[in-house]
Amino acid sequence: MTKLRTDEIKTGMILSCDLRSRDGRLLLPCGMELEEKHIQLLDRMGVEEVDVVGPSVELDNGALQDIEDYVRDYFLYSNPDHPAVMELFRIALERTASRVAAGWTLPTVEERRAQTVDHLEDLFLKDMGGPEEIAKNETELESFPDIYFRIREVLDSPNVSADRLATVVSTDVGLSAKLLKLVNSPFYGFPSSIDSISRAIALVGGKELSTLALGISTINYFKDIPPELINMEMFWRHSISCGIFSKLIAEQQEGIQSERLFIAGLLHDVGRLIMFKKLPYASREAMLFARENSIPLYEAEISVIGYSHTAVSEVLLKAWKFPENLSEAIDHHHDPMVRPNPLEPAIVHLADNMANAVGVADGGMYAIPGIEDGAWELLGLSSEFLREILGKHDEQIEQILSAFF
Amino acid sequence: MSLFSSSISLRKGVAITDDEFVQLRDFIYEKSGIFVDEKRKYLFESRFRKRLQELSLSSFGDYLKFLKFDSNRKEELVKLFELITTNETSFYRDIKQLDAFQANVLKEVIENIRKQGKSEMHIWSAGCSSGEEPYTLAILLYETLGMEAARWKIRITANDLSMAMIQKARDGLYNEYAMKTTPEQIQKKYFTMETGGWRIKPEVAKMVDFKLLNLNDALALKRVPRSHIVFCRNVIIYFDQDMKKKVINSYYDNLLDGGYLMLGHSESLHKITKAFKPVFYPGTIAYKKE
Repeated sequence: MTKLRTDEIKTGMILSCDLRSRDGRLLLPCGMELEEKHIQLLDRMGVEEVDVVGPSVELDNGALQDIEDYVRDYFLYSNPDHPAVMELFRIALERTASRVAAGWTLPTVEERRAQTVDHLEDLFLKDMGGPEEIAKNETELESFPDIYFRIREVLDSPNVSADRLATVVSTDVGLSAKLLKLVNSPFYGFPSSIDSISRAIALVGGKELSTLALGISTINYFKDIPPELINMEMFWRHSISCGIFSKLIAEQQEGIQSERLFIAGLLHDVGRLIMFKKLPYASREAMLFARENSIPLYEAEISVIGYSHTAVSEVLLKAWKFPENLSEAIDHHHDPMVRPNPLEPAIVHLADNMANAVGVADGGMYAIPGIEDGAWELLGLSSEFLREILGKHDEQIEQILSAFF
Repeated sequence: MSLFSSSISLRKGVAITDDEFVQLRDFIYEKSGIFVDEKRKYLFESRFRKRLQELSLSSFGDYLKFLKFDSNRKEELVKLFELITTNETSFYRDIKQLDAFQANVLKEVIENIRKQGKSEMHIWSAGCSSGEEPYTLAILLYETLGMEAARWKIRITANDLSMAMIQKARDGLYNEYAMKTTPEQIQKKYFTMETGGWRIKPEVAKMVDFKLLNLNDALALKRVPRSHIVFCRNVIIYFDQDMKKKVINSYYDNLLDGGYLMLGHSESLHKITKAFKPVFYPGTIAYKKE
């Protein structure tokens, strides 16, 4: 099964699952062979992506070589002898090959360079605003969702009262719906369906559900980022991917609340959204610099802008009074090993690498950030484990994405 | 079922040792002023892989010896510079900066030259890559001077560290990517379409002298004619603080009084020098030598 953009669909491809409109109406059933009129329908309906199978393209040696070259390009910055990096390389290779076999065309070098945003102006010129200035207006909290504060209050109280939490969360219909979709998805794999927040709290736990609610309520804040700046769907797909991997890795570690790591993964790049809002042109320059030098965006931000998205999130999350252990994992997902307690940042660190590797086959743009010395050893995982959680990730990602957006 | 062999590895060539990396890094720095962070060790390993294979060398240690002692070391340096430079650029890159430059800086410089009863101008495009920037400047001058352009004597000296880039610039043939930020009427007016892409018109091309130049070569910098305007965009980002100071000072010396230095969007003279007067425009800062 491969997800293709509507403009990549060709006649003769077969739908691999029911295609529904946003309001849940069945548009085309699973198993249908697509004809020209169907493709036109998809286009008219504004459907962006479709799951299809074949007709599979035979991959000759030339095509395999192109795929290898394409994927290799994302890994130039990372240690080629690192067992986890090697495994991620193989994973990215296979996923890219299966997409190409299903009809996906590899993006050209030029398509992979960042778009220009010459009409957009930065609010700060170089050296006229550090992370504090960039985050400043964002920390004036009047525009922040009210529900966030109420959940934080519950979370900060010594004993999370299930009733109180249920009442608070239930006042926000959108948030409740998202949470219920999440707990009913393979992410939890509960055997029967959960139809109320109080039931969800009983099953997942009060603290855990509050953490999820807190993180998810934050997403709304970023709804107004202009779409020309960044492909928000790609951004949140990467974020959710990182969240799922973080949770799955956290489940292997003792004494870690895995929901918290899901939220840390989900929000690991929030600083980048603020940079896009305040420094659109410089952010684009950083993207170009990252591409032309085959380096991760994190390093390009430091070279071009002078500081990275994690420096921005540090200011931002502090001002939002985000739970400290959550901020820690978010703010240090690029340098976990410098921290006194590196475990949780290291989980998001590895998850970010995995999400990037998986993103290669989705037309991702940037080099895999690489795994810091010691982080992999600290987590004590095997490369087989990376394969294992990949399957689980794939089962979960679409449903979570559709629960949130 | 995988289409790739399960033993496919990420490593394709010989590994660089930490010691070799430091030596290569120091060598590059000494020759070009370009500073390579240790984090880019693996990147360099793969970037030099093909070159080592072409030379049938089996280690970076041997490559270093080749660079330092071989009778072809001079030619090899040219190759090395091509491997370490990048070339992200396009015509009319950073339109907001160029608009501010044309409407203010260029206008002022032209006025001043006129006041002196002269009609000669020199612009230095330092780090010109494949020529998009100096040709853009030539076009801006044509657009600004209009009919008068024919009477003016305008020279643009354009330099780069990579011989391949200089050759491409002299050739003057560009693909769509290079045109991505170019206004349509400019593209029609100053380029002709050919099978291989868009070619810059000869009347623009003849204003620009392309020459290989190493910004770390102090004597060579002194030989560049004195300028009214220096453009150096997205170049000093590759230098360390010392080298930044050295290069910026040489631009200061090169500029005529009242001349301007223009840097890349995300570059500034903060912590480098206070010699210039920063003049603020929407979207850019121009640095004036008073």
